[in-house]
Amino acid sequence: MTNEPDDRPNVGTKDATSGGLARKAIFAAGGGLALVALATAAVQLEIVPRWLIGAGSEIDESAAAIEPSDLFTPPLPDMIPDGPFGEAVRRGEAIFTNTATNASDHVGNGLSCSNCHLDAGRHPKSAPMWAAWVTYPKYRSKNDQINTMEDRVRGCFTYSMNAQYSPTGKPPPVGDDIYRDLQSYFFWMATNAPTNVALEGIGFGKVEKPEMGYDLARGADVYQAKCSVCHGDDGQGQRDLNGDYTFPPLWGSDSFNWGAGMGRINTAAAFIKNNMPLSQPGSLTDQEAWDVAAFVDSHERPKDPRQSGTIEENRLANHDGDETLYGQVVNGAVLGQGTGPSAARAATMPKTQGN
Amino acid sequence: MNRYLPLSILALAILAFATLMLVIAPGMQINSRPAPEGLTPYSEAEQRGRETYVSLGCLYCHSQQPRSGDQAPDGERGWGRASVAADYTYDQPHQLGTMRTGPDLLNVGARLPSEGWHLTHLYQPRAIFDWSIMPAYPYLFDEKPQAGPGDVVVALPAEYAPQDGVVVATQQALDLTAYLQSLDRTYEVPADGLRDHGYGTPDGPEPTPSEEER
Amino acid sequence: MARKSKHSRPDEAFEPYEEHAGVPMPVNWVAIALTIWGTAMLYDTGESVQESLQDRAEDSDVVAQSVPDEGTLLFGANCATCHQPDGRGLRDAVPPLAGSEIVAAGPDIVSRILLRGIDGPLTVVGQDFDGHMPSFDSALNDAEIAELASYVTTRWADTTEATAQTSEEVASLRAEIGDRGSFGGGAELAMMISSLPDQPPMPARSHVQAGDQAARDLVFAGRDQVWSCASCHGDLGQGDESTPRLAGLPGAYIVKQLQNFREGTRENESMQLVVQGLSDPEMTALGAYYTDLRVPSTARPVLSGDLKRGEQLALQGDWSIGVPACFTCHGPSGFGVAPNFPGLSAQHAPYLAAQLANWVGGQRHNDALGLMAQISEALSTQDRRAVADYLASLPPVPAGGASMARMETQDDQ
Repeated sequence: MTNEPDDRPNVGTKDATSGGLARKAIFAAGGGLALVALATAAVQLEIVPRWLIGAGSEIDESAAAIEPSDLFTPPLPDMIPDGPFGEAVRRGEAIFTNTATNASDHVGNGLSCSNCHLDAGRHPKSAPMWAAWVTYPKYRSKNDQINTMEDRVRGCFTYSMNAQYSPTGKPPPVGDDIYRDLQSYFFWMATNAPTNVALEGIGFGKVEKPEMGYDLARGADVYQAKCSVCHGDDGQGQRDLNGDYTFPPLWGSDSFNWGAGMGRINTAAAFIKNNMPLSQPGSLTDQEAWDVAAFVDSHERPKDPRQSGTIEENRLANHDGDETLYGQVVNGAVLGQGTGPSAARAATMPKTQGN
Repeated sequence: MNRYLPLSILALAILAFATLMLVIAPGMQINSRPAPEGLTPYSEAEQRGRETYVSLGCLYCHSQQPRSGDQAPDGERGWGRASVAADYTYDQPHQLGTMRTGPDLLNVGARLPSEGWHLTHLYQPRAIFDWSIMPAYPYLFDEKPQAGPGDVVVALPAEYAPQDGVVVATQQALDLTAYLQSLDRTYEVPADGLRDHGYGTPDGPEPTPSEEER
Repeated sequence: MARKSKHSRPDEAFEPYEEHAGVPMPVNWVAIALTIWGTAMLYDTGESVQESLQDRAEDSDVVAQSVPDEGTLLFGANCATCHQPDGRGLRDAVPPLAGSEIVAAGPDIVSRILLRGIDGPLTVVGQDFDGHMPSFDSALNDAEIAELASYVTTRWADTTEATAQTSEEVASLRAEIGDRGSFGGGAELAMMISSLPDQPPMPARSHVQAGDQAARDLVFAGRDQVWSCASCHGDLGQGDESTPRLAGLPGAYIVKQLQNFREGTRENESMQLVVQGLSDPEMTALGAYYTDLRVPSTARPVLSGDLKRGEQLALQGDWSIGVPACFTCHGPSGFGVAPNFPGLSAQHAPYLAAQLANWVGGQRHNDALGLMAQISEALSTQDRRAVADYLASLPPVPAGGASMARMETQDDQ
């Protein structure tokens, strides 16, 4: 900028100066554009250190974002190895997803392991088996002893699979191949998992009992609104045209018995809250989860196989302090008397297997 | 600049070469293809309907060339697989069209095979789609106090039906409908259907590697 | 020099002048930068093309290695959902193949069963089953049937006889069988296989009247402002392209959809016009009519979907996007679970994909708990094409008690 005093008409001066300015501006803009192009090319090719373009902060963010997916990931089914061990894993998976067929002698209801352990035991917060595997052996107050995984699975057969109504009337005997195969499957799923650690996603999660407690009438409403479309108005599940359960029965003679963990309202509430309705986990409030869990567990089911005396004695021995309606009067009847086996099931049970 | 002759010859040569490569060669290539098995020639009524289709200028709003999935979601729209040259064996002249103000019609006969539906829709598109911007073609229909023998009565909701009497289709409407119903290229893509898929995926399942290896 | 003087002494007599107008420097810079960028991009792309080509080659190697034979693939895709990957079936529901006396009878019988399906009681390995085996007549070609029959017999039949089946043999079987419909159960099989143990008697097959006369009138003739159902959905309710297949859908499901069109929770202009003219009893009659129909599949995968991905979504789901397997709710092989979960198998791919899009787009909001809306939202366009194509490739719902309806309806045509 020239600001010499001048008496001549300054039109020319101004033109000349501004021409120069414009030229400078064009040069600056062009140079800038070229720089941008070069820089873009450099970034595209990733020849620029990441800190220079502020990617460092991005990394921090993604590290934070990883946290929810910090979950352990079990190997995929097509990664099962070949050979005898792989065979055992495959058999274990088949037992897990099709229990009534592949462990048919010891299953006395219409359920499979994978009804509660979703996605063949892989789904977090539906008691994934990779998380369970690394926490055994452990002490369980349920039977007041150190439990190996085999002991634990025997418990599943006894209660959740209601072995008492099965063709043998018993869970698989100690050391049975069913345990070997299932444990091979669990062990393989826990590939690379740390041991003796409560992995994220273990069990069904926890849902604190809401202030309002639970209420069967409210639970019935939730059930009608959210559950009955799949599990049926009567809770008996729905079968496909072959007669196989597509949706498992929630109570009655084809469901788990009174000794199963799912018969406790807190356990059922956690499972429901974190997994149901299928594909919509977390859509129920804690209150709804507790109410509907109580509603489901307020129906009669096969009796507790541990019961030797009266219901009250068994309640004190095995259900005291639990969140359960076992031994309580609901709709005028004491819960826990147990449904008998269905006619079809009774026909295959040991007592009547005279031939 | 006075060498007009060589310039003209050069220009004509370039033009001739382009014509050869872009018109004549493809023409010969296409003409040598047999008609696809699933495609039948138009019947007389359909051919008359086709003439009506041309004369009404349907082409200005409706294309007849479904595209492959990587170009447009025509498959999901229910417009059918991407068309191939052989699909137009009996279309002279073809009615490819470029505008898609309305839906593509090459497979409308498979999508909407109902004669009754088409008659209602031609008489008054708004009777079915209240948002439709397609013109109505009432002049293809007659209003009669009573349907005569052999008359095809058009099904109409009360608000579009005449006060008394019925709407019956003229032969022209029936022909046009017959043509629309005949538009069905849902048969399997003829082998070597002459379609360049460029970098996209060809229609139909991709050949598995094991097949390629054989 | 002229320039210099201009700058230093702008006040002196300034003459306009013309100097050599070279390309301005900025333009040069931009050109150079763009050239560098372009070259770099080319180099970069070339590299990634090389990489992806290599990846693809490796992928196909993996596929080639891990796919022992086509039979395994076919079995996994068509049989394993019911008979299980290990062929042990489902207790009280699906007969085992392992140890089955029927499989032991050889590939010829297996092919016949694949082509005709089984519809009736049968006893396998001492267990009674209510047979509902679909016919794969429309879903598999001769070569595939032959491959499967060979695979099943080789794997499970305890026989030393030849277990290979050729596609020519299957073709002649297909011609011989014609339109005979499903096997009526174990008793009919026992007529062909002398070594079968005692089979339960076939129930007397009641001649099912396919719908009452009023429903048939609506289906084939229509009325006033109701176009005939058959004019769009086909003579046998088989549908086409974006018009759904109705044959074999649960009756209550069909009625619910018709009511939803009336209420506006499901949008489709043509159907909304039709239902204006339908009474509730007529809807029920139409539902009953279509649920009884059993017709071969006319659906084909036409959306270029990735069938492998579709199979994964249908059988295992994809929990990483919160999508459970289709068959968890729609029953094994997508045969449906009445009344709320319609059959999906043999449904037309464009229709299925369009419905998935409609859940997202809001043209459909008649699903229980918004289950389908949420699942559709989670699926990408490619996923929708994939799963629609896979489902279209499956055999239709197996014949039930009403398998005769099909023949009767055809007689009327």
